Amino acid sequence: MNLSRLQVVFFKEMLDGVRDRRSLMSVCISALLGPLLMGFMFNRLAERQREAQDIKIPVVGAERAPALMNWLEQQDGIEIVEGPQDPEEAVRERDEDVVVVIDDEFGKDFSEARPAEVKLVADGSRQTARPKVRRVRLLIERYSQQIAVLRLIVRGVSPALATPIRVQDIEVSSSQQRAATLLNFIPLFVVLAAFAGGMQIATDTTAGERERGSLESLLVNPVPRESIVIGKWMAAVVFSACSVALTFFLCLAVLQRIPLNEFGIRFSIGPLEILGVLAATLPMALLATGLQIFIATFARSFKEAQSYLGMLIMLPMLPGILSVLYPLGNQPWMIPIPILGQHVLLADVLGGKAPELIWFGVAGFSALVAGLVCVYLTTRLFHKEKIIFGR
Amino acid sequence: MIEVSQLHKRFGEIVAVDDVSFTAADGTVTGLLGPNGAGKTTTLRMLYGLIAPDRGRIHVDGVDVASDPLEAQTKLGVLPDTHGLYPRLTAREHVRYFGRLHGMNGAELETRIGELIETLDMTGIADRRSQGFSHGERMKVSVARALVHGPRNVLLDEPTNGLDVMSTRAVREIIRRLRAEGKCVLFSSHVMQEVSALCDSIVIIARGQVVARGTPDELRSQTGQENLEDAFVSLTGIDEISQ
Repeated sequence: MNLSRLQVVFFKEMLDGVRDRRSLMSVCISALLGPLLMGFMFNRLAERQREAQDIKIPVVGAERAPALMNWLEQQDGIEIVEGPQDPEEAVRERDEDVVVVIDDEFGKDFSEARPAEVKLVADGSRQTARPKVRRVRLLIERYSQQIAVLRLIVRGVSPALATPIRVQDIEVSSSQQRAATLLNFIPLFVVLAAFAGGMQIATDTTAGERERGSLESLLVNPVPRESIVIGKWMAAVVFSACSVALTFFLCLAVLQRIPLNEFGIRFSIGPLEILGVLAATLPMALLATGLQIFIATFARSFKEAQSYLGMLIMLPMLPGILSVLYPLGNQPWMIPIPILGQHVLLADVLGGKAPELIWFGVAGFSALVAGLVCVYLTTRLFHKEKIIFGR
Repeated sequence: MIEVSQLHKRFGEIVAVDDVSFTAADGTVTGLLGPNGAGKTTTLRMLYGLIAPDRGRIHVDGVDVASDPLEAQTKLGVLPDTHGLYPRLTAREHVRYFGRLHGMNGAELETRIGELIETLDMTGIADRRSQGFSHGERMKVSVARALVHGPRNVLLDEPTNGLDVMSTRAVREIIRRLRAEGKCVLFSSHVMQEVSALCDSIVIIARGQVVARGTPDELRSQTGQENLEDAFVSLTGIDEISQ
């Protein structure tokens, strides 16, 4: 290896890469996409939650059931408003999610202890209206049950007799948890950024060099192949690492703007956590670009390389998919496995759990070793006549 | 000086180079002449260390290419068969990159780049990005970066291929100047006129073998042909094949 020549290759590839609009774009777009998506999803979630909590219930014929209306208005976040002229039309036209219609005979039926009718006008095909419809239905049923209990007590019957089975809902997934799941996307975005950010330059310096026919001229210079490959690799690592850091800081910027306490999430990230995230993810760039350079060297052209690397981007998503199929949780043996280790460390750091320092070292080292193996294999390819001359 | 002895190379079943030996002396222009597919490019690639020969030895100024390819490469200036450019680098940056890869830097390198830009008449394109360069302009950049480190030995693979008249003349002028500087110039061509106009010594290759070697005059008398082109045809046996 020759360090000064390695630098020459590195600086040339950096200059070339910075002038390449496509490689700058791939860094920026990949860095922007994740955080924006996350911000968007959080906003939707917050909106939904607010909608489900504070709802206005349009009621037609409210005056026919004053006691029910009173009871409803005492419930948290419920407001009774005048219902539309044509409830069914209003729901069909999506002016309203749900309309409650009190039957004409409601008062008479109610006082004579016959089932009094309340119509719930809703569109079952509308996903977004469902939480609201369910809430209204539950409220009315609860009221109905309370009245039933009172009636039984008045008649000297134990209310327990009328409830042979009692179903108790234990809701595990709450909005808070859904919001916390969204936070779990951060590791995925950051790891994806490592792959997306270096992809363009890794391709350009290998498959691009072959496609342009400039590789033969380059290798005629008295520079060891490993210096050339490492110089190219390092340039790609810089792009990938920039993309990782940019993605992460944009995620943070988005999180700053989201009222996380509205979801009941305690998410505070200080300088130490930022350091932790970067220490966990930056080594990812070594592996991602090493793999990309190795694979792209097989390709005779830019396009061929892009199609291979497009498939490679599935790799960082694998841990996420596997964890759904085989929910193992985060276990220590995962840390030395590249990509998996980064996921575990990130989840720990973002989850407020401080991993031991040694784990950062182990995960970083394994990523470095994996990257170096790729570089070694690429160097071997750079000796092959088929690669040098095969166009 | 380049000394080649008993070079062999086969690709699978095909014997590309079969027992090729020749010497290219300093201060002379040696032409490697032969029809397409004769093994010229393969021979040159072995000379500049990108293909390992199956057998045979190559010495560049006494350095064995097989055992110390990097040292041999420092003594060589090469215009390879494929010499693509980096579209986002300027002509000057191309030359500078190769100069640095040879370990040059600073004022010495910049002066050298200035000289090359001057002699190759590249002032107009020196600081333009190479995207959109004409064939001749690209060739000039490739030649400049091959010569940046002032090599004693210069290998040119079909340097005038596809060039227009003006550019061809420019390349010939460079070759003559290199000879005047006492360099060892070896270039390949399949064009008879090219070789006869420039070369002090000609090595004719056909089907991977050296079929004749000598000055243009020697080749003429050897074959009994007045015309060098007829000599070429009779030596390479193209006639027999086409008949």
